[in-house]
Amino acid sequence: MSDLDQFRQMAEAHALGALDAEERAAFEAHLAAGCSGCDKALAEARWLVSQLAYLAPETAPSQALKDRLMRSVGAESRVVPITAAKKSAIPFWLWAGVAALLILALYSTWNTRQLSGEVKRLQEQATAENQKREKLEQELAASRQEAQMRAILTNPESTKIMLMPSKKDMPSLEAKWHSQLGLVVTGYEVPKLSGNRVLQLWLIPKDSKAKPMPSITFWPERDGKLAKLVANPEEAMPEVKALAITEEPAGGSEQPTSAPIWVGAVS
Amino acid sequence: MFLAALTSGDYGTVPPDVALVHRLLQRDVRAFEELYDRHSRAVYGLVLRILQQAGSAEEVVQDVFLQLWRNAGRYDETRGPFVSWLFTLARNRALDTLRLKSERQRRREDQTEEFPPVAVAPEYEKDLDEKRCAARVRALMASLAPQQKRAIELAYFEGLSHTEIAAALREPLGTVKSWIRNGLLRLKEGMQATT
Repeated sequence: MSDLDQFRQMAEAHALGALDAEERAAFEAHLAAGCSGCDKALAEARWLVSQLAYLAPETAPSQALKDRLMRSVGAESRVVPITAAKKSAIPFWLWAGVAALLILALYSTWNTRQLSGEVKRLQEQATAENQKREKLEQELAASRQEAQMRAILTNPESTKIMLMPSKKDMPSLEAKWHSQLGLVVTGYEVPKLSGNRVLQLWLIPKDSKAKPMPSITFWPERDGKLAKLVANPEEAMPEVKALAITEEPAGGSEQPTSAPIWVGAVS
Repeated sequence: MFLAALTSGDYGTVPPDVALVHRLLQRDVRAFEELYDRHSRAVYGLVLRILQQAGSAEEVVQDVFLQLWRNAGRYDETRGPFVSWLFTLARNRALDTLRLKSERQRRREDQTEEFPPVAVAPEYEKDLDEKRCAARVRALMASLAPQQKRAIELAYFEGLSHTEIAAALREPLGTVKSWIRNGLLRLKEGMQATT
């Protein structure tokens, strides 16, 4: 008898579970080697052996067993198993895409809000910086103006011009004019002006036919102090014979609309 | 192919058991109850024959049918009849319990695996229904010599090996092997001849 025949004869005993350990190991090694004939014989032997179950007399188990089983199965049937779960009509990759888009949208919204807040903050910061810069520029201009005024007032080459009031109860004013640095008008206890009226400086030309040349408009401070710079007078000092100050509407006038309150000759 | 015509029924070309298993996969409790009603008597009879104790037998049968409910997908209809798979599962569980109770060392790891392997019904079995099959098996086994039948029963119902059976029957090992093999071949031929 060949080895193959010997193995083939073991199929039924193996299916029955009757082979001793050594025989079983040898048979299984033979199967593992890939003997399709023995594999088929074993499959048929298993069926044949399973038929031996009919040798046992059929016996009904208790109703309690069925009741227990049906309760267990009924309870488990309400839990959808993973293997029996219906697959979603929407594939996973689509859910993943939707989730990614949602996250992107949320991030974009959050980012937009962040950026909007940042823009607003920067705008406020820019406005504050501009205000600060304007204030500094104003202070710088005031400083420069004050320095220029001080230079004119203290420069020995400046020409002093007394502006005498037309009324007795009015203080006299003083002007100093430097041919290069400009003209400064100063005074104290100057009365407040009514309404929207301002003071306006006029340069009176030596040419009798020429009209008074309008210069700056100004008004006294609350304490009646007056200090005003005309950095670039509209006419050169040699061409001017006198300075005059009138009261004019806000914004000044092209020609004097009232009689001069102060007048001073340029010597 | 043999599966399709193994039993006749109302399910067209699909055997009733296979159709019910398909419904089990959809968590159909009614299908489970139907399978239980169809096979619980045979399964319980087999397990009780092995264990000889009703309480233990019911525990094993409960375990077998719960495994069927939970793992119906483990049955591959292309690889053998459902009832063979179910009987093998029940026998393995019962022998496991028997061995645990008797504190015997498990000798046959492959025989005690959780789910039974492939069992192929030969072509001549395709027209048999279960009752006819049962009657034929009983008749053929009854025709064997008492010792030959006893040797097969010791192997099948008690899980004994050739050597253990020889010791139990006080017969030579070679004789026992021959009895079992020849008895099974006669069973096989007898089933084929009566088709």
